[in-house]
Amino acid sequence: MQNQDGHVVESGTETITSTKASEIEDWANFRDDDILQQQSAIQAEEAGKIPFVGDKEPLSSLAAEYKSGNPILVEKINVLTEQYAAIRRTRGDGNCFFRSFMFAYLEHILQTQDRAEVDRITANVEQCRKTLLSLGYAEFTFEDFFALFLEQLESVLSGTEASISHDELVQRSRDQSISDYVVMFFRFITSGEIRKRSEFFEPFVQGLTNTSVEQFCKSSVEPMGEESDHVHITALSDALGVPIRIVYLDRSCDDKGSVSVNHHDFTPAACQVTNANSCATQAAKPFINLLYRPGHYDILYPK
Amino acid sequence: MQASRARLFKEYKEVQREKVADPDIQLVCDDSNIFKWTALIKGPSETPYDGGVFQLAFSVPEQYPLQPPQVRFLTKIFHPNVHFKTGEICLDILKNAWSPAWTLQSVCRAIIALMAHPEPDSPLNCDSGNLLRSGDIRGYQSMARMYTRLAAMPKKGELVFR
Repeated sequence: MQNQDGHVVESGTETITSTKASEIEDWANFRDDDILQQQSAIQAEEAGKIPFVGDKEPLSSLAAEYKSGNPILVEKINVLTEQYAAIRRTRGDGNCFFRSFMFAYLEHILQTQDRAEVDRITANVEQCRKTLLSLGYAEFTFEDFFALFLEQLESVLSGTEASISHDELVQRSRDQSISDYVVMFFRFITSGEIRKRSEFFEPFVQGLTNTSVEQFCKSSVEPMGEESDHVHITALSDALGVPIRIVYLDRSCDDKGSVSVNHHDFTPAACQVTNANSCATQAAKPFINLLYRPGHYDILYPK
Repeated sequence: MQASRARLFKEYKEVQREKVADPDIQLVCDDSNIFKWTALIKGPSETPYDGGVFQLAFSVPEQYPLQPPQVRFLTKIFHPNVHFKTGEICLDILKNAWSPAWTLQSVCRAIIALMAHPEPDSPLNCDSGNLLRSGDIRGYQSMARMYTRLAAMPKKGELVFR
């Protein structure tokens, strides 16, 4: 960037205004807004290539992607194929974790029609609403996002007027006005949980960035497009009481060079402490399975 | 479009309710267009902007509140993070750190905070930024105060050079 280093500013004089005007004319017109616009144009172009939520593909499509790639990855995909049947890709726009979670959760409810689970999560959402209010968030700033999520939840249950088909769920997940609102809903939930239990999360946040918990939430959780890490996943899983399995596809292997695919189950804190019995079965096998490749999350379907 | 309109209407009602609570900010919606707002903010005390009243123009995009409003100073101001010609503001929450948790009102509060705590390391007004970075606090303050008097004082006639 050019600047006007050459100018010596004498305080109290008015000359800077006039001399500056002509010199900076050309780049003065190129403003941050233009940069933002260019950025969103690039994003829009990328967006055309992959939808927010893709179609379900057999895991062989993942194998094809790494056909001539790193042998450890190829081997791991082979191992994955024993347990998982399919993958559903999401757009790598920084919201992929939340977007994957959204689709995987709503699809699960659509397929199982588990009303008890819907009632349970609805109660948790209400709790999150109270959390945000107690943290000082103005209700009108987040209520639209909450309402839209609850609407989607309602619509995947059959027998109501608003019931939708699986195709419609896919369409909605690709519709920015719905999809982004639900992602933003999860961001609010996640931020509220982290701030509510800031003492617990502080060391984890410190491990990621050099900021306070509050600053972390403001700069790395709430803004759209900010990528998710284990802090986000832990908080979302805890807040909603939904266990999540993350399967890691990276180049790591043990000393002997033998390959196994690691996974980590995020089990809601509430399940571990209280009523361990009722959660036991759920905790044992999370119904949300996500594939993590460094920097990106997609949805996995077990066999 | 519908969502942004509904949200802005809520903010409008909130602004009416909060008028008394925040005497430093007067946020007004355009009579005919809810996507256009203007604000009058008071320069914070113990800064060179003290005593000045600064006008901001808001242009709200259709994707609001997922996308930030565009805000700029209409009143001339000498500040490292405000473009001297266009009034454009360099503030993270108006760019990539935006989230729907912010409101037009809280954006005004953030701008007032920016006036009190300039960030000379990311300047839009390099003259102003350089004064601060080189440690010439008096120089910066006197320039900023001069422009406050010239442009942001309700009565312009009383301009005094010392």
